[in-house]
Amino acid sequence: MTFLTPLFLLGLAAIAVPVLIHLTQRERRTVVEFPSLMFLRKIPYESVKRRRIRDWLLLALRAAALALIVAAFARPFVRGSELSAAGGGAREVVLLVDRSYSMGAGDTWARAQQAARQALQNVSALDRVSLVLFSSTAELVLRSSADVARVLAEVEAARPSAGATRYAPALKLASSLLAESQLPRREAILVSDFQRAGWQADEAFRLPSGSVFTPVLVEPPSAPNLSITPLSLQRVSDQGPERVAVTAGVVNRGAEPANRVSLALEVDGRVVQSATVDVAAQSSASTTFAPIAASGTSMRVVTRLPDDGLAADNAFHALVTPPQALPVMVVGAGGRGDSDLYLLRALAIGDRPRFQATTHQVDALTPEALARARVVVLQDLPMGDAVAARLKTFVEGGGGLVLALGPRASWPANASWLPVTITGSEDRTRGAAAKLSGFDYGHAVFEPFRAPRSGDFSSARIYGYRVMSPTPGGVTLARFDGGTPALVEAVVGKGRVLAWATSLDLSWNDLALKPVYLPFVHQLIRQASGHREQPGWLTVGQAVDVSAGGSGAVVLAPSGQRRTPAEGSSAIELAEPGFYEVRDAREGQPLQVVASNVDLAEADPARVEPAEVSVAVTGQPGRANDPGSAPAIVPDEVQEQAQRIWWYLLFAGILLLIAESWLARRLTPVRH
Amino acid sequence: MSEHTIAPGARFVDPAVLARVGNLEFVARSVVDGVINGLHRSPFFGASVDFAEHRGYVPGDDIRRVDWKVFARTDRYFLKEFEADSNANFSVLLDISRSMAFGTRLSKLDYAKTLAACLTYLVHTQRDRVGLVTFDSEVVDFVPPSAKHLDVVLHTIDRAKAERPGQIGPPLKKLAEHFGRRGIVVVISDFYAEPDEIFEAIGPIRFRGNDVILFHVLDPMEIEFSFSDPASFEDLESGDQIPIVPDALAEQYRALVKAHIDALTSRASAQRVDYMLLKTSMPLDHALFQYLSIRDRLTRTR
Repeated sequence: MTFLTPLFLLGLAAIAVPVLIHLTQRERRTVVEFPSLMFLRKIPYESVKRRRIRDWLLLALRAAALALIVAAFARPFVRGSELSAAGGGAREVVLLVDRSYSMGAGDTWARAQQAARQALQNVSALDRVSLVLFSSTAELVLRSSADVARVLAEVEAARPSAGATRYAPALKLASSLLAESQLPRREAILVSDFQRAGWQADEAFRLPSGSVFTPVLVEPPSAPNLSITPLSLQRVSDQGPERVAVTAGVVNRGAEPANRVSLALEVDGRVVQSATVDVAAQSSASTTFAPIAASGTSMRVVTRLPDDGLAADNAFHALVTPPQALPVMVVGAGGRGDSDLYLLRALAIGDRPRFQATTHQVDALTPEALARARVVVLQDLPMGDAVAARLKTFVEGGGGLVLALGPRASWPANASWLPVTITGSEDRTRGAAAKLSGFDYGHAVFEPFRAPRSGDFSSARIYGYRVMSPTPGGVTLARFDGGTPALVEAVVGKGRVLAWATSLDLSWNDLALKPVYLPFVHQLIRQASGHREQPGWLTVGQAVDVSAGGSGAVVLAPSGQRRTPAEGSSAIELAEPGFYEVRDAREGQPLQVVASNVDLAEADPARVEPAEVSVAVTGQPGRANDPGSAPAIVPDEVQEQAQRIWWYLLFAGILLLIAESWLARRLTPVRH
Repeated sequence: MSEHTIAPGARFVDPAVLARVGNLEFVARSVVDGVINGLHRSPFFGASVDFAEHRGYVPGDDIRRVDWKVFARTDRYFLKEFEADSNANFSVLLDISRSMAFGTRLSKLDYAKTLAACLTYLVHTQRDRVGLVTFDSEVVDFVPPSAKHLDVVLHTIDRAKAERPGQIGPPLKKLAEHFGRRGIVVVISDFYAEPDEIFEAIGPIRFRGNDVILFHVLDPMEIEFSFSDPASFEDLESGDQIPIVPDALAEQYRALVKAHIDALTSRASAQRVDYMLLKTSMPLDHALFQYLSIRDRLTRTR
């Protein structure tokens, strides 16, 4: 407590005046000459004494009133944070409270709530407060409310979520709330443990000019914390039923080594294996459990660490789906021994998905055979009308068709559903061979080759290719160096067709001899089949499509809570770790199971400095984003004006004076 | 002026105004003349030669007092007796103790001096002998009653000052032997003494056949005690001081004063002593009328 005009406190000496008068009166009173005290002496002296006690009460009231009034004139104020004294007028306060799962460690959340309460202590009746709880997403709990008690109640009721820290959504929301406010002062208060994992500086974070940003750091507990790493599921299928080898890791971010850490492997709710690992400080260790047999249904696999200060990162959930091979029919002309060799060898490798490639003749393309296949690869074949019609039916039904065009390839003229029209051939055996270029790296086929040194197509030499003209539905994904389309895709019905302008063997190019051949072929087949690898797990905050449950789908969360997709949506957001079950309206057996895990990046306690965040959002560390503002020293006058304690003191002093007058009248006898 | 009944023909003059005149004889004459002129009937004029009664002659009586007219009618000797008070002694016992100096507008002593002068002048006009005694704790001045002592009495009254503490008992007991001849004794005082002490003091005077009249002179403030501010009250005579909060004491004080006056009134009535309370705010006429009415009663009852 300080005073703006402390010299006024000298007025407190005035309190002594009535006391001195009283004392002086006791020593030297006003003397009244009276003819005789004969009668006065007969009156009991106690009545005078009682009256004196009442006088002391009045004296105390007057002294207190005087002290309050003097203190009011001295203009007291509390020299506090910028929050309480950044200027005059009402404030728009946005309180951002981090509720990521790392805030649940030890008593961190309780201290965060306490910090939020303290931050709201200086909120006046004119201020408005918005409450934003955030983790990976930001939730606006209360918008510009004058009811601070309600804000505090919401803070009290809030609990840490399973989400990871992401500052961007919360800060963007705060920025928009402050920008919309008409109040003269704008402030954002961020209560968090300031984990660096969720921080990425961005210009969009900037608060409106003149806003005050107050970071409130809640230190996480110093207890050691071990976190588990994502599982590695390795399918093993040598000479027998497919098995899955589970590899789990443990990360120790503490300063002390963790020895003999117990690690349990649970399958469908039962602990089937356990292992111990030693983890050095600031290090990690992993262990691979003995392979477990894959069953015909999905297996729920969990690796679990013993509980420690932060429980959320001690378990990892994964779903092991039954082994499924993708049936691929490779149809060649026959006669050339090596025409399918490279293709079959390439498809024999790989488990995401595993390909089950078989070679066939053209006449084997019967409806029955096609019904068993997901993808058909035609190696330089002329197509008749009947086969073309069957293939069209196959594709429209959801099958995939890959056309590897060679000198013999031809199609009926009415096959307009194809992505291309073959117009001729290009022979590049003489002169420079053609090169592949013009890749659409944004497409799924070439997306894995986007990064540098992720696959070099330029080394392949193309000696001949068919000149293709894309049909209206065809999309060119790659071209030769002359600009001619090399790969064209079209969606036909539920399936898709990919036309490759040259061969997939060595007859017209040497691509099969290049390292990029294998992943390229895999990508072609995956794209044609429409295969989408189902991840073994998702992360909290991600959305999952629950359309498998039909229109009345019910989602059973790991906590037992029943959730239904929002109106007009078929997806729900994962909010907790564990296994989500999607059921239909009748709630029979689960139609879909999804494993959900917390974002393990949140387990990293590395901290971003609050000052760094302040600089990013205001341009100054913890100060208003006002380019022309002076150094961040809030004048005492402004603080005093904002608090106005003097008004309350003066009011109390006046009340005391009124009480004194009333009491004095009560004590004074009425004269008749 | 509302404290007392207005007497017919009375000329009310503010005592404070009279006190400022300074010439006591002039003041006394003005007041007394005003009172006398206002009377429609004066039963006291010539009272000294009024017939009283007849009684039978006994040997040794002065034959000059035989009523021959009665002897002529009845052939018996009767003596004719007359009232003998026309030349009565009239003495004023004036208290000049320090407490008499108190007064808010007019000091009690000034009021008492004016009253004494007026009474003396009035009596002197009736050819009575006038005397004066001033006293405090002892006799200060003593002027024996005489028909020629008006000037001396007035002069003595004029120079009387309230300077010393007073005590009513000793001086009055001492004076009793000087009032051997029947007369009228007027005591003017504030009577700050217990009623027993007062009446014990005037008892000897009363027993010697004197008619005693007590004029109790008080300032209105002494009766009403309308002080407001707390103060230290100092006894004018003893110098003692007591811290007083008037608001807290006034009721009890007024009750005590009233009890004191009531006691004096009842004791005076019981002992056939005339008692009259005079506030210094009351005009002197009132006191004079009161005196005359008392004299009238005395004359008729004798």
